[in-house]
Amino acid sequence: MKSRASTLLAAAAGLILLFAVNAAGQAMQYERPVQAAPQEEGIGGSYKTPAVQKPQPRSYWLEVLDVVLMAVAMGISVWVVLRRRSRKWVLALTVACLGYFGFYREGCICPIGSIQNVSVALTDPGYAIPIVVTAVFFLPLLVALFFGRAFCGGVCPLGALQELVLLKPLRVPRRLDRALGLLRYAYLGGAVWLALQPFPVHDFIICRFDPFVGFFRMAGFAHMLYIGAAFLVLGIFVGRPYCRFLCPYGVLLEWVTRLAGRGVSITPDKELDCGLCQESCPYGAIEKMRVVRPKCLYCARCFESCPREGPLARKR
Amino acid sequence: MSDQTTRRGALARAARGAAALALGGSAFYLVRKADGQIVWNVDSARCINSRLGVTNVEACNLCTTECVVPLSAVRAVNEYSKCGRCYICPAYFNITSAVDEKGLPSEKLCPRDAIERKPIGDIDPDDPANNFYEYIIDEVKCDGCGKCVMACKEPLGLGSIVLRVRHSLCVDCNRCAISTACPKDAILQVPIEKAFDHVQLGSHD
Amino acid sequence: MNQTLHQRVRWAAWIAAAAVAVCVLLLTISYAAARLQAPRDEKTVAELKRKVREDASFAPRIEAEHKRITAALQQRRKRDDVIAIVLLLAASLFVAAAKWLAACGGRRQLPMDRLVQLKAAPRQGPALTLPAAPGGAEEPHQAFVERIVEQHGRSREAAIPILQAIQAHYRYLPDEALKLVCELTEITPAQIAGSSSFYSQFRRSPRGRHVVRVCHGTACHVAGARLITDELRRRLEIPGGADTDAQRLFTVDEVACVGCCSLAPVIMVDGQTVGKLTPTGACDALDGIRSPSPA
Repeated sequence: MKSRASTLLAAAAGLILLFAVNAAGQAMQYERPVQAAPQEEGIGGSYKTPAVQKPQPRSYWLEVLDVVLMAVAMGISVWVVLRRRSRKWVLALTVACLGYFGFYREGCICPIGSIQNVSVALTDPGYAIPIVVTAVFFLPLLVALFFGRAFCGGVCPLGALQELVLLKPLRVPRRLDRALGLLRYAYLGGAVWLALQPFPVHDFIICRFDPFVGFFRMAGFAHMLYIGAAFLVLGIFVGRPYCRFLCPYGVLLEWVTRLAGRGVSITPDKELDCGLCQESCPYGAIEKMRVVRPKCLYCARCFESCPREGPLARKR
Repeated sequence: MSDQTTRRGALARAARGAAALALGGSAFYLVRKADGQIVWNVDSARCINSRLGVTNVEACNLCTTECVVPLSAVRAVNEYSKCGRCYICPAYFNITSAVDEKGLPSEKLCPRDAIERKPIGDIDPDDPANNFYEYIIDEVKCDGCGKCVMACKEPLGLGSIVLRVRHSLCVDCNRCAISTACPKDAILQVPIEKAFDHVQLGSHD
Repeated sequence: MNQTLHQRVRWAAWIAAAAVAVCVLLLTISYAAARLQAPRDEKTVAELKRKVREDASFAPRIEAEHKRITAALQQRRKRDDVIAIVLLLAASLFVAAAKWLAACGGRRQLPMDRLVQLKAAPRQGPALTLPAAPGGAEEPHQAFVERIVEQHGRSREAAIPILQAIQAHYRYLPDEALKLVCELTEITPAQIAGSSSFYSQFRRSPRGRHVVRVCHGTACHVAGARLITDELRRRLEIPGGADTDAQRLFTVDEVACVGCCSLAPVIMVDGQTVGKLTPTGACDALDGIRSPSPA
């Protein structure tokens, strides 16, 4: 801020100097020719004042439609994972949501960023957010309260992008996983704190350091694009690094999911404890052959790897 | 499934109910005070380029450099009803440049040649100063650098040109990059109905 | 497995990866070039502006310069957009191809890719082909069976020794050889069928080079021996009803208790016992056998 002010000052000084030099040169002494704008009748002829262009934003009902689509997508996610238990359908949903919420809607608006708006709106009586934003923030939480993190599995464009690039998941040691997971709490706390500060400090860091929105817009600051690319390359080997180690909304979803009544489950009467599901889970969400629901990201890989159900069982 | 109520089940249900109530309650509170659609908007009374009293400084071009949209979603708009339609427009010409043989400044102010100068009606060549000219800003070329806005305001011009957000291009970033960079906090979110008002310009501080 | 398709997808993945790298490089270069060019342009314009104050005829030059800069900027934006879309497509292609290759049987994944090499390698060598009868050529069985029959006699009592000799030679009882035995001796097909199916030392189908015995004793059964058998058969692509893979490298047998219940679930690979297994672990155990010792 300081440097900007000083450059402005320097520029001003330079300009004044130029004016002084020019006074000796051939530039005109300019004086405003009119005191008021001439109107149609003053100009005469058949003159009509042209209309000022007023480009309208995306219409409101389309934004409402986005919310509806998000709700529908979460519904599909729940149905596909809990009822159909099919990875293929989850993949299709992931691609569809990445295309729509990611590349078409360019990653805005998302519940992750709206944490900041909601926290400001809850504390600052003068700040209001549209109903759409409220809905976008609370819907995934409500779904998580009953079914777990269905939003993460395929609907969230950031998650979807990382989900798709994951090729060769390496096992993150559980201790390291836990330790890195703590970063999310710090990030959430920092983001809310900064969002609540008054003007000069106030910042929405979640949006500022969103690693993938640059890809969705196909434009952005070079450093953010490189950071995003680094996350994606890391994401080839580590399942969803952003979601597991940074996403602040994941923290909220995790808290709420602890209360969830239903969710992904591995049924002991159907599957012997062969451990294939545990090996297949890239997020370390299956411990001792049982799902840790707050960590489960609804990807359905465990069902696919199961020799008792899924394509392997069908192939036999 | 038995319909026996276990203590564990009852507790879980109670916790879930409480959480649902808390979430629903805060959502309800937010909805109660919610606006309709809100958009980013340039507050002309705050913007250093259009604010009165700031003269002889280089125009602030943060709207151009900070915006994530290629060529910026902010652009200059000529509010025609306020335009003086001057013979020599201080926003069109660089009035500090040398005068050419026709008596007009030789340089144009806009670095991207985005303003078009069109005579209105018949031109009286003997009395050029009393002819009217329409100044039309080409939306495609303009990138909101603010030079014309700075030049058009009092005392040189009438202040008809202001910076506006092109809502059709604006991607509605939650954290508008310009707004965080703006030294005067002039980019604000307002309800859509108020976005097109031509604010009476005045000094803010 | 369709080998050419595999090859093609592999190529596609490599090409896509190269395209991604090239696109990233191009974008970086484009970005760096623009960053370098901007101050130069600014300098040129400033220089021209200084000149125009002395000589008004420079004014069109400034305008031309501005036009050039704007055009270059817009061109760069357009070009970058195209590169970005190509990058996106290439990246999706790469991911899709890589996923396909990875999913193409879990075989390609994890330690199983080495097993595939193991399976593929002996194909060139003569070791795995059925031991040809000493005469080779036209009627390999004929001469061999005649020789055996000469040794053991043509009576019904000779059935077991003859079968043992054939089994020792071929490592199983080929139908053709058994037919010859019936023609040359007094032994009846019924007797052969009876003996060969009663004694577990006889096999009617070809045996793999390595025998994997999966224990199905009580302890192992409880610990999931069924799943281990299933997983082994799946990975080795042994069709239902058979017990040996197409390359005749592994034979998977289900046997009763091998006597080390504390290690359940257990498999024995060529007499070597491996215990406390998971299905994947069992596959890894097979991977451990690399020594091409003929069984």
